[in-house]
Amino acid sequence: MQITVEHRPSYALAVVALEAEETVIAEAGSMVSMDTHIQIGTSAGKKGEGKLKGLMKGIKRMVAGESFFQNRYTAAGGAGEVTFAPTLQGDIDIHTLNQGTFFLQSSAFVCSDDRIEVDAKWGGAKTFFGGEGLVMLKATGTGPIAFNSFGAIREIEVAGTYTVDTGHIVAFEDTLDFSISKFGGGWKSFLLGGEGLVCRFEGRGKLWIQTRNSQEFGQLVGGKLPPREH
Amino acid sequence: MQHQIKNKPDYASLHVLLDDGDQIVTEAGAMMSMDRGLDMETNAKGGVMGALKRAAGGESLFLNTYTATGPGQRLDLGPSTPGDIEHREMYGDALMVQSGSYMASTPDIQVDTKWGGAKTFFGGEGLFMLRCSGKGHLWFSSYGAIHTVDVKETYQVDTSHIVAFEDTLTFQVKSVGGLKSLLFSGEGLICEFSGSGKLYLQTRSASALAGFLHPFRRVKQQNSGS
Repeated sequence: MQITVEHRPSYALAVVALEAEETVIAEAGSMVSMDTHIQIGTSAGKKGEGKLKGLMKGIKRMVAGESFFQNRYTAAGGAGEVTFAPTLQGDIDIHTLNQGTFFLQSSAFVCSDDRIEVDAKWGGAKTFFGGEGLVMLKATGTGPIAFNSFGAIREIEVAGTYTVDTGHIVAFEDTLDFSISKFGGGWKSFLLGGEGLVCRFEGRGKLWIQTRNSQEFGQLVGGKLPPREH
Repeated sequence: MQHQIKNKPDYASLHVLLDDGDQIVTEAGAMMSMDRGLDMETNAKGGVMGALKRAAGGESLFLNTYTATGPGQRLDLGPSTPGDIEHREMYGDALMVQSGSYMASTPDIQVDTKWGGAKTFFGGEGLFMLRCSGKGHLWFSSYGAIHTVDVKETYQVDTSHIVAFEDTLTFQVKSVGGLKSLLFSGEGLICEFSGSGKLYLQTRSASALAGFLHPFRRVKQQNSGS
C-alpha cells in the first residue's frame, strides 16, 4: 500500500494505492472517490474479532470523538485506488510504523494500513475537565498511517520537555511521556487567560502540532448560527 | 477579451478585461469589483420563459450578464468558497457542472438547468447539475483544491465532492454498501461513472463542514409557558 498526499498544504487529499486484496481503514465518511471494484465494509472492530469486542472498541472510539464505525476498503481482485479528505481545511502527513505505537488526537485520523490497530486511550482522569477531546487514539502495528491537521502541520523534535496547548496537538511518538495540566500561571490565567489545558511532553521523540484549533473554530462559527432544536 | 486567474490555489479569483461590446455571464453573487462603465442585467439569459421554467423546477440559478460599454473595462469575480478556479475553453463539447461551482462563461455557452437528471445527484442539499455546452470560455470553482481524474473505464465519487465532468461519461447515482453503511458509515450518495472522460473533484465538502459545525450551535430553549 502506498499513500501519497496531493494538494498540500491547505486542502490536502490522501491518495491510497492498494495492491490486490490489500485493505485500508478510514474514518467513516471521509471517502472522496475510488475505483468501482473496491469493496466497502463497515465494521466497528477488526476482521475476525468477536462482534461484542468490536462494538466496545467502536463505543470507545466514539467517546474519543471519532466516528463509531471505521470503514474498510479492500481492493478485491486487483490493484485499485481510494482517496480520502478530512472535513476541515488543512494538511495531511504520513507516518510509517514498524511494529510501533503512535498517538493521535482523536479527529486527526485519516486512514491507515489494516495491520495497524486504532484504539482509544484516556489521558488520565484530569483530562475530563478539558472538553477538547483529550482522549487520544493509540495506533499500534505496521504500515503507513495518514493524519490531518486543522491549519498547517509543524513537526517538532522534542529532547527534554515541551509544552503544547491541548487543542493544538496532532500526534506524537510513544517514546514521549505526556501529562495534562492546567496552564502554568495559576488559577487566574487558567480561568481568564484563554489557555485552558496544556500537555507537557517529556523525553525524546517527534511531535506534530497544528497551527489552528478546531474546537475554537467550531465555537466561533457555531455560536453565530441559529440555535438548533435539540 | 483578456482573462486571468490570480491567487491560486487557495483563494483564486478571476479577472477579466473586456473590450467595447464584450459580454460575460456570471453566477449572481460572483462580482467582487468592476469598472463603472459596465452594464449589468440579471437573468436575461434564457428569457422570461427560461426563468419561469427554472422557478417551476425548483432549481433557480440567477445569472448576471455584464456588457462593456467602452474599451478596457475590468470585472473581478470571486467564488463563495475558499479554493481554486479552473478555466476551460469549450469547442462545442459539453460539461456538467455542479450548480455551486459554476462561476462564469462567455455568452455563446448555453447553461441548461433542465436536462434530465439535473436533480438526481444530491440528497436535498439544494444543488443540481448544470449542462454547459457550446463554444467559448467557461470558469468553475471548488471548495478546496480541484483534483482531476481521467476516467478510463469506471470510477466512483461521493456526490458532495463533484465539481464537473465531461458528458462523454455516463453515470449512475446510488447509495453505497446497503443500509448499514448508509446509517452508520457516514457515506451518502455515490456517483458511478463509466466511459472515458475528464472528472473534476473538490477536496473538501460543504456539507461535511456544516456537519462539523452543527454540534457547536446553541440548543434552543424549550418554551412551554407561552
